[in-house]
Amino acid sequence: MTETEKVREAAAVMISSSPKSLEFQGWGYRHASRRSFVAHNLNLSIPAGQHVLLLGASGIGKSTILAAAAGLIGASESGAQDEEGGQSEGKVLVGGVPARDARGNCALMLQDPDSQAVLQRVGDNVAFGLENIGTPSDAIWPMVRAGLAEVGLADLELHRSTSHLSGGQMQRLALAGAVVMQPGVLLLDEPTANLDPEGATHVVAAVRKRLREVNSTMVVVEHRAQLWMDIIDRVVILGHAHGNVDTDSVDSDGIAETVVVADGTPDEIFTSSLDFNKLGVWVPPQYAAGKAQRHEIEPSSESRATHRSGEVLLSTDQLSIGRNSTAIAEKISVSFRAGEITALVGMNGAGKSTLALTLAGLLPPIAGKVTASPSLVKGTNEKGVNGAGVVNDAGASSGTRRAESSEDPARGSVQDHEHAKPTSDDPQKWSSRQLARRISYVFQNPEHQFAKGSVLQEVMLGPERTGASKEKAEKKGRELLCHFGLERYAQANPYTLSGGEKRRLTVAAALASAPGVIILDEPTFGQDRRTWSEIVELIRDLAMRGVAVIVVTHDEDLVAALHARVLRLGTGAQSDIRVTPLSDRVEESKPASRSRLLATINPAIRLIGAFLATIPLLFSLDLVSAGVTLALEFVILAILGIRPWRVIRSAWPVFIGAPGSALAVLLYGKAGGALLLEWGMVHITERSAQLAGATALRVLAIGIPAILLMLGIDMTDLADAFSQVLKLPDRFVYGGLAGMRLFSVIQDDWRALTASRRSRGLGDDFVVARFFPQAFALLVLSIRRSTSLATAMEARGFGGVSVRSHARESRVHPRDYVFMVSCLAVPLFGLAIAAGCGSLAFFGDSSITT
Amino acid sequence: MSTNNQTTQADAAAQVPRRANLKWRVVDIAVASVIGVASAFIYWAAIFIPWDALQAVVPGFAGVVNGFWLFAGPLAAIIVRKPGAAIYAELLAAILEALMGNQWGGAETILIGLVQGVMAEIIFLIFAYRVWNVGTAILSGALAGVGCWGYSFFTKLQAIDLGGDYGIIYLLTTVISGAVVAGLLTWLLYVGVAGTGVLDRFESGRAIRGTVA
Repeated sequence: MTETEKVREAAAVMISSSPKSLEFQGWGYRHASRRSFVAHNLNLSIPAGQHVLLLGASGIGKSTILAAAAGLIGASESGAQDEEGGQSEGKVLVGGVPARDARGNCALMLQDPDSQAVLQRVGDNVAFGLENIGTPSDAIWPMVRAGLAEVGLADLELHRSTSHLSGGQMQRLALAGAVVMQPGVLLLDEPTANLDPEGATHVVAAVRKRLREVNSTMVVVEHRAQLWMDIIDRVVILGHAHGNVDTDSVDSDGIAETVVVADGTPDEIFTSSLDFNKLGVWVPPQYAAGKAQRHEIEPSSESRATHRSGEVLLSTDQLSIGRNSTAIAEKISVSFRAGEITALVGMNGAGKSTLALTLAGLLPPIAGKVTASPSLVKGTNEKGVNGAGVVNDAGASSGTRRAESSEDPARGSVQDHEHAKPTSDDPQKWSSRQLARRISYVFQNPEHQFAKGSVLQEVMLGPERTGASKEKAEKKGRELLCHFGLERYAQANPYTLSGGEKRRLTVAAALASAPGVIILDEPTFGQDRRTWSEIVELIRDLAMRGVAVIVVTHDEDLVAALHARVLRLGTGAQSDIRVTPLSDRVEESKPASRSRLLATINPAIRLIGAFLATIPLLFSLDLVSAGVTLALEFVILAILGIRPWRVIRSAWPVFIGAPGSALAVLLYGKAGGALLLEWGMVHITERSAQLAGATALRVLAIGIPAILLMLGIDMTDLADAFSQVLKLPDRFVYGGLAGMRLFSVIQDDWRALTASRRSRGLGDDFVVARFFPQAFALLVLSIRRSTSLATAMEARGFGGVSVRSHARESRVHPRDYVFMVSCLAVPLFGLAIAAGCGSLAFFGDSSITT
Repeated sequence: MSTNNQTTQADAAAQVPRRANLKWRVVDIAVASVIGVASAFIYWAAIFIPWDALQAVVPGFAGVVNGFWLFAGPLAAIIVRKPGAAIYAELLAAILEALMGNQWGGAETILIGLVQGVMAEIIFLIFAYRVWNVGTAILSGALAGVGCWGYSFFTKLQAIDLGGDYGIIYLLTTVISGAVVAGLLTWLLYVGVAGTGVLDRFESGRAIRGTVA
């Protein structure tokens, strides 16, 4: 059979899967950390092949319901505790079988693209689920190709790194990984919430194609459902039993239990008289015409007039931007006025955030500069924020809003004047405190921004950093919390708030330092209807306070609701800011070593070789064995194709470490021979000097092969070798591998955390004082990502009972044995020479031999 | 914010110490992994500490900061609470560092990780994975310090007398630093992380947060 035939056959198998019914019978679930049930006595029956849209406000339990259907939570028997310590009641049946025992029949796709790519390479990700259910390895690759073709990604190289994919491609990749397992039910948990419109369209098209070929049962959760409507048969809306829709609260008491409040065809539901706003539900625009849902919060004409009347606060002149040294857009000249709302729009990856970070003084421009107006430099945007006090009352629903100048603690204190006078009009040159006082950046992920232990401290940070006393900062903080409806959480941990509350808190905290410019990055991503409306109001309110607002967004509804000035970034002629197109580069697979020979050695064998080449040296500490071995290593590495200067460059860390260890030995080492210097505890003797030299050489002789033999090993290949050659347990090997993939995500998180700390006025702190809180934030973010990664892995059958198969073979060849013997021979040769000279020193203990 | 006025069945269930479940779930593996990976990153980002210079000039001073490089093992153990968690996290961090190349050398880092992981693990094994408190955390950190000290003297500080002044000072400082930084501070770090709610799927997280409505 040819490769193409195999792929075609695999495709035929993939669409032969039969749809399964899904049934909740008196089902309920209580998380171990909660006292009350998320859902209780839920009855819902979905016949095989039906396509259901599941709606409801954030926090109502939609994700829990999907996780239960996928068999990821809940025990097999009713009332028992599951592995998570949670308690389930009733039954969830997939095709009549308890969901717990039908894992793999349901494919689950999640919202965050980053935590669904389990492995580094595209092809390996699709193969992952197949391996987990033990698909024979020769059947895997044709299925992987068929799966990628199914979702429209047939053009991607299998070895392409997932970090070079767009969000939309990542989600389609996750779908490919799910459909190759031939699921009877597709469970989609907000699969397009993080995507730009184009990415979302592609994902929905891929699902639509799949459903046309295989009539799988589907349950999709999505706040904005318009793209899905033509494939939806039925709409189920979840709400609270007692009409209490205050679901935004995480820790408040007495949450009512979740029930089905409406169930019917899309036409029946969306033309009914339900109070959709109260339920936190978006009515798709197809049905919204008569309801005017989107426009019920029109700004008054008066406030709209103020939008464009302010002075210019921030402008750019011939600005070139980019994250590394290459500019993605050049010669940008734009300006932003007080009270004006500007939307930066354009596709994912077009450079919107790059521009926004540059404007915010958080990313250095490549050329040109950002200029703050004299009034923004002075920090006395009186016309702006304070003037807004007047406008304020005219604004929509501003009953409780007050930020009067006379009471504004961030102004007028002595310290403030000290911080408040930057000598430059370039935000890039301002100190962190100066910046915080003038330009605030609200990050897309609120958890990038949190820096304090309580909600109140979060909003007090701005005033405190810009010079207000503690009392004044607290007063201002409490005012803001009232204004944003967060006062009852004053003492709560910011991380425990719901998504919408976190968003409000970050805006409140940004506002607390009374900046003239506020930049919001994707403020409406993944928000439900109610939170969305709140955010719209909030942004309008900011503009009415005279703040220059810049919103980075894909959300066309948001742009319309804000009547924002639009700056479009794109490659097309109609773009306001032209960016260089994202090149669809062909990606070569990376070599596993600079040495072609080394690259052919099995990674596990390379690791063993690195030990064999180094450990014998530990038995003697003398100049001869270390020196001879070190010299021999350079020669052998040169023969292998790694030149000496390259060796030194690759192994630079040991060249820093070696002198340090040597110095310690010189000063405090074992004494012998002539005493050269004595001072306190320091005894430099002839012997300690000799041992110091030997230590330095030996640290290099050990470090160089230990680094060079490992450098370039691909993590996935190493994991395959651990599993197949060293026979380590797959759960730990591949679980660890998935964790390691997060390393690049962690690096991005760290950069965002650094920028957010500068934006919040924490960037001037002593490096150590800054480091540890940031490390804490990083750890929390990483753990959150890893728990959703675990869900994504389990949804693909990882950790189940079946024996894993291996899509990639890891083998040991005769040359690998030759390699190991050679590795061992190098230090043994050095030791033999030393023995011949009589200079062997077991643990450096022989008598001095000079 | 839990209410105290009514004790429900759920409360009772959460308070009665159940038999420790020693089987690793996928989420345990994922979280232990990411603790290793994030720790490796943090060590790498903390390269600003002039470790080698300090070690050379002030006897035992390096020992004072050694504890910082030891927290991954105890942290993974007290969060995940499964047998081998400390060893697993340390090894994973070490493999990652080895692939990147660092000042302790490539492959050799794995040995260091193994030694420190095993030492950090021992104390939890002795208590049969049932006792999770600040005391066991401190002991774990202190023992990891002993491992770190022993390894240093077995390898690059071989030429310094273990029982001499430098050796003793290095041992004391490393053990104290291990107990304080890798033990006590790591425990506080865990309490802080648990307070954010990200550990609600873990026994360790619920022990701090309790059950909420």
